[in-house]
Amino acid sequence: MTISPDQIILWQWGPLHINATLAYTWLIMLLLTGGAWLITRRLSTGPRLSRWQNLLEVLVTGLKDQIRDVSRQEPGQYLPFVGTLFILIATANLLSVVPGYMPPTGSLSTTMALALCVLIAVPLYGVLHRGPAGYLRRYVQPTPLMLPFNLIGELSRTVALAVRLYGNIMSGTVIVGILISLTPLLFPIVMQLLGLLTGMIQAYIFAVLAMVYIASASSAQHEHDDERGPGG
Amino acid sequence: MQIDWLTVAAQIINFLVLVWLLKHFLYAPVTAAMARREARIAERVTAAREREDAAERERGRLHARMDRLEERRDAVLEQAREEAEREKQRLLDEARAEVDDKREHWHQQLRDEQRAFLKQLRRRTTEGFADLARKALSDLADVGLEDRMVATLGAWLDNLDEDERQAFRSSRELVVSTGFALDDNRRGRLGELVRAHFGADKHPDFEHDPALVCGIALTAGGRRLAWSLADYLDNFERTLAEHLDQHPGERTDTASNTEPESERQADAATG
Repeated sequence: MTISPDQIILWQWGPLHINATLAYTWLIMLLLTGGAWLITRRLSTGPRLSRWQNLLEVLVTGLKDQIRDVSRQEPGQYLPFVGTLFILIATANLLSVVPGYMPPTGSLSTTMALALCVLIAVPLYGVLHRGPAGYLRRYVQPTPLMLPFNLIGELSRTVALAVRLYGNIMSGTVIVGILISLTPLLFPIVMQLLGLLTGMIQAYIFAVLAMVYIASASSAQHEHDDERGPGG
Repeated sequence: MQIDWLTVAAQIINFLVLVWLLKHFLYAPVTAAMARREARIAERVTAAREREDAAERERGRLHARMDRLEERRDAVLEQAREEAEREKQRLLDEARAEVDDKREHWHQQLRDEQRAFLKQLRRRTTEGFADLARKALSDLADVGLEDRMVATLGAWLDNLDEDERQAFRSSRELVVSTGFALDDNRRGRLGELVRAHFGADKHPDFEHDPALVCGIALTAGGRRLAWSLADYLDNFERTLAEHLDQHPGERTDTASNTEPESERQADAATG
């Protein structure tokens, strides 16, 4: 039983290959970019909106509100990164209702890639806001003895981000696969619906946690809040 | 579970590309559109507020103007009303004064005419009545009116009660007044009558009194016994005056004393 889309190789040329994870990711990127382009071609600034524009505005406003609530900062500079994380993961998970589709988030390579992006983004935003010295000082606080633990915490939460998302999505897919072979009728559908809910929750958790890490690194007043335990 | 690091690298690139694409095609346009809409709404709200303020100012201005106009109208109306009231009062007073003058004048005229008429009537009636009585008495009994009056006085003297008679008798002076001239014959008869009733020592004085008109009176010690045509004429005149006079309080002077003296006779004692 194939449990990761990484194992489905679509094209190979020497060491380079294109697997299903990459293909589905490109499909999602195409859908998102094409949809956004189609809708935002003719944006209305008057009181009457198209329903698609309304949907996008609700989405963007909601993302901004969430970022503002979590970071207590203006959401403008975080919106592209955190918003894209949420939209990508949510879309990848929601499309799992399409037969034959395998969510790229069910691949540890994808979730690790996203977690690495967060791992890099946290110091980037921190240095941007507080300067290199200000950012690095947080690793030796409250005492330099804490430096190893801070570094381990940084790495472990990245791994936790990746594994949490991968585990939830992969398990959902695997469970549905197993259930189909056992009780082919109603039960898998219920589990699919549950999978949709889980997928949305995981997308939200991933994005919010990323925002929390970034905010704790970039905000002086949250210096000591950055060791929040990962949820999920 | 294994990690394909080539896929990881490709996914990182994919993610960064997607971030750029969505920022370009999604976040920026939508945010800009919302900002523009908010700006337009704010602009409209500002414009509406300005219009509202202007309307409020205009309303206040018109309100104040209306108040001023109303006050002015009230003042003008009040002034006109007062002027009309004053003019009405003045005209009423003038008319009333004029009416009073005319009425007073008319009353005066009426009183004068009445008085003149009554005076003339009294004179003519007295003359006519005296002539008529004289002529009638002369024709019927061959006795002059004066003789008849003397006879009447004699009849009254006969009918006097004892008290009256005593009162006349005790008085020193007796005066016989007549409205006509007495000849010696009548004087003698009157003297005899007096002496016959009040004592032989009594010699009455005779005097001519035109006020009696056509009559005879015996006066002694504050007592008076009289008969006169004037009494009847006064009665007649009073009746006439009552008919002529619309205001009983304005009777003529001649009508104020209308009780015939003959009715009082001698019991109307005066001081």
